[in-house]
Amino acid sequence: MKRIVVEKKILEKNDDIANQIRKTLDSNHIFGLNVMSSPGAGKTTLIERMVEIFKSKYKIAAIDGDLDTQRDAQRIAALGIETVQINTSGACHLDSSMVYKALNDITLDLDLLIIENVGNLVCPASFYLGTHKNVVLISTPEGDDKVKKYPTMFNVADVVLINKTDIAQFVKFDVEKVENEIKELNPHALIYKISALKNDGLEPFLSWVESNIVSVKNQ
Amino acid sequence: MHEGGIAQSIVEILAEVKEQNELSCITSVTLKVGKMSGVMIYALEFALEAIKCEEEFIKNTKFNIISVDVKAKCSLCGREYQFADTDEMNLLCPDCQMPLSIINGKELEIVDVEGK
Repeated sequence: MKRIVVEKKILEKNDDIANQIRKTLDSNHIFGLNVMSSPGAGKTTLIERMVEIFKSKYKIAAIDGDLDTQRDAQRIAALGIETVQINTSGACHLDSSMVYKALNDITLDLDLLIIENVGNLVCPASFYLGTHKNVVLISTPEGDDKVKKYPTMFNVADVVLINKTDIAQFVKFDVEKVENEIKELNPHALIYKISALKNDGLEPFLSWVESNIVSVKNQ
Repeated sequence: MHEGGIAQSIVEILAEVKEQNELSCITSVTLKVGKMSGVMIYALEFALEAIKCEEEFIKNTKFNIISVDVKAKCSLCGREYQFADTDEMNLLCPDCQMPLSIINGKELEIVDVEGK
């Protein structure tokens, strides 16, 4: 009988590929943004707003992760940017090898690469994709009890967007309670209250994105 | 659930360990899973039991999973806090109101392997 000390990260391979993606983004001065949330929280609508605002000024591409269909990619591509749909055929998250492969289909003459992860508040949090920042959305109809139920996701967020705040009162969503719970799990996270559909409250988030685009561009 | 994929990654690493150390089978494996790793231990155990049947060299492997509590340290006063339950986790130092940095609880590792 032999005992072997391994001490190896289980997701080391994922992290290695993610680090290669990061190198590609950095050497091409592309700001990479990973957008995560439950299904229906407003990821695609948020990305549409970002593209509408930034497309005249910056070169943008998107990678869209879904179990099936081209629906999200079609919505984003309709705004005139290069979009690659990844169908995970059952997998509940994007991993770095899927993104690495999708990057081969994208022209790297870009300022911003948006990755729309699979709608899921659990699994995507465990898989680093090599992006510079993570944005997590929570929408009011999901209920105000979600933050502490999914601690890993809210802990990895650089920005948390509380979306659909225009209907918060109708779905009994306590915005202040949610903000406090996010701060407890992640004191570093920036929190913005928005309605992506109504185009409301997005300015602080959009300037955060823009400052990141500029800083990666000047790296 | 992504525990199936995690179990697959574990088996890939075990196959490498087996080759490198010229083992014929692996009898036991110790894993560390942090409470903030995003992996549910019960689901991982289930996935590992399912995947065991597919590979001869891990057919009788015993997987010992160590669950790691979240431990965080204040960057100002240096005090450490341990949270057995992520429900009660508050990553702001109650004394300094400074953000705590997580020291433990994000682990997802293979610690050691026994085989022959």
